[in-house]
Amino acid sequence: MTRKIIHVDADCFFAAIEMRDNPDLRGRPMAVGGDPGKRGVISTCNYEARAFGVRSAMASALALRHCPSLLIVPHNMEKYREASQVMRNIFCDYTDLVEPLSLDEAFLDVSECNQHQGSATRMAEEIRARIAQALEITVSAGVAPNKFLAKVASDWQKPDGLTVIAPEAVDDFVRQLPVERISGVGRVTAEKMHRLEIHTCGDLRRYSQFELSEAFGSFGPRLHELCRGVDDRPVRTSRRRKSLSVEHTFAHDLNSLQDCLAQVPELLAKLSKRLLGLDDDYLVVKAFVKVKFDDFTSTTLERAGMQADVEDYQQLLEEAFGRSERPVRLLGLGVRFVDLKSGDDFTQMDFFQGEENP
Amino acid sequence: MKFSVPREALLKPLQLVAGVVERRQTLPVLANVLIVLEGDRLSMTGTDLEVEIVARVQLPEAGESGELTVPARKLVDICRSLPDDAVLNFSEENQRVILKSGRSRFTLSTLPANDFPNVEQGPGDLQFSCEQQDIKRLIDRTGFAMAQQDVRYYLNGMLWEVKEGQLRAVATDGHRLAMCTRAVSVSTSDVTQAILPRKGVVELARLLDGQGNVDITLGANHIRVATEAYTFTSKLVDGKFPDYERVLPKGGNKEVFGDRNELRQAFGRTAILSNEKYRGVRLLLTDGQLTIVANNPEQEEAEEQVAVDYTGDQLEIGFNVSYLQDVTGVLSSDKVKMTLSDSNSSALLEEPEGGDSVYVVMPMRL
Repeated sequence: MTRKIIHVDADCFFAAIEMRDNPDLRGRPMAVGGDPGKRGVISTCNYEARAFGVRSAMASALALRHCPSLLIVPHNMEKYREASQVMRNIFCDYTDLVEPLSLDEAFLDVSECNQHQGSATRMAEEIRARIAQALEITVSAGVAPNKFLAKVASDWQKPDGLTVIAPEAVDDFVRQLPVERISGVGRVTAEKMHRLEIHTCGDLRRYSQFELSEAFGSFGPRLHELCRGVDDRPVRTSRRRKSLSVEHTFAHDLNSLQDCLAQVPELLAKLSKRLLGLDDDYLVVKAFVKVKFDDFTSTTLERAGMQADVEDYQQLLEEAFGRSERPVRLLGLGVRFVDLKSGDDFTQMDFFQGEENP
Repeated sequence: MKFSVPREALLKPLQLVAGVVERRQTLPVLANVLIVLEGDRLSMTGTDLEVEIVARVQLPEAGESGELTVPARKLVDICRSLPDDAVLNFSEENQRVILKSGRSRFTLSTLPANDFPNVEQGPGDLQFSCEQQDIKRLIDRTGFAMAQQDVRYYLNGMLWEVKEGQLRAVATDGHRLAMCTRAVSVSTSDVTQAILPRKGVVELARLLDGQGNVDITLGANHIRVATEAYTFTSKLVDGKFPDYERVLPKGGNKEVFGDRNELRQAFGRTAILSNEKYRGVRLLLTDGQLTIVANNPEQEEAEEQVAVDYTGDQLEIGFNVSYLQDVTGVLSSDKVKMTLSDSNSSALLEEPEGGDSVYVVMPMRL
């Protein structure tokens, strides 16, 4: 099935936020970055500064030599994080499959989204408009059948642009695409390609996968795909789960513990099915039950080291039910995870926390 | 200066003295050992301006008295590589030391003894004597818990607390604490606290291997520990050690008794598959059983079940497994007693009865 991927990239994000909040910064070369006297570097600069040759990651001192009138303001990360969160919340209205690349950049897989009759182009337009309204900054977006092309597209008409590469246009678009546009092709690789008379993806297509591997090592097979506009990498949501649960509100309240216990197998079957859909990097460490009573009070009970089987849940449920002994309107079963990918599932506690120095 | 000394009489004291000498020094003379001969009594001194060790060696016969300094590291290396039964003949010629042994001959540079600095000492406020073994035990039982290069510089050392009839050592890096208390004959109405720097503690432990007494002098800024053969002097860390009494958990209601060796081995095995950086393991305590589980980012898992003497509520708690290995390794009793309360509170580990040491380990939040 053809996927629909949107890549959203804010235009000179940090600088845009600063200009939004301080009109004096507008219409003149400015940048967000470190102190030139302390070997600071430029994080982001506005388009006026770019005209002077100022670039991201350039030493602030060098940037000032390129553009003596450049005004460098310090970072305000808290503000950028807040703005980033606003953008992320907007993305989540369209899909759960959001892969943030940084504070100002994300991939969205909207293949399953039904809004705007499934038109990714109109979704991207709306996202751009909503961000412009909410944050008073502009973002550029690219719409394409995969991540590689969506990213190329968002950069195509920056700033404040939207570029769509429809599936039927992919082949022609990629054929004329300069190799420098391929992420992973830097100055050195590009020069090497130019020596081989390779300037566009079309040129790359003349080479077999084997020849590309000979010339460019492990990047070869990937180049072979990218120059044909093929990129199967999925959009990976980095939001890692801490728990997973299922619950059911009953049409008629369950009046006895026996009635409640009888519901466990069916709920557990639902939970197990959802658990199968997760990748293997989650380790179940706790089981919990949630019980909502007819008076709308609710209680949850969790315990570590359980197998999360029917007996475990029935035991937990019995204890939870005993807390109120009322008719039950809702039952939920869940598990909590340790995310093995995060590695920081343990935090060492300290005797003297908060008393750094006497 | 001129004297002869058997290699076996010289090597060990020389190594201990040279152990204080830092590889990189601010003053050239700090790379040297001071050698002083008075008749048949030879003394050697090494210092880094913080810690000073003087070793005394009795010579078989008197030589020509004198004093000078020679490069510590080189002298140790020469002495060590000579045959076991070698006799070393030292003599001084034109500001050089000629060292002869059998058919070997070495000429070493010297620096004047006058340039050799003393660790400054104030008056001693408190003096007492105790068994060498007591001091050795205090250090062995607690030294591992000292912090290393912590910004809380006063943790990079060991607290000694003297009060009527007892000497106590406490070390903590903020995550775990070790405390050992020994009865010593000291008569004082005060409680005196001193923080020995980490390096001083390590060097002192190396000196103490024999029987016999040590004389301890505690001043405001320094400590001196003297045995028959050595005098150890160290500056003290200028700072306030945290109130360790406050760290000792009081409210633990879950008492667990287990076989120390079994636990030590189980911790050791689970540690293999714990996260290499964080070293976290999960302990699940149920009636009669302690389950230890470790996971790492490679999705490998280790699980150990150890039978323990416990009845009560179930508890799951996380720990840095290295800390548990340290404690179960340093204790010597057959059983270990663990007192816990909840997963956010520290654990108290000790010998079940009559022990002189207690250990507190802070958990890891799961």
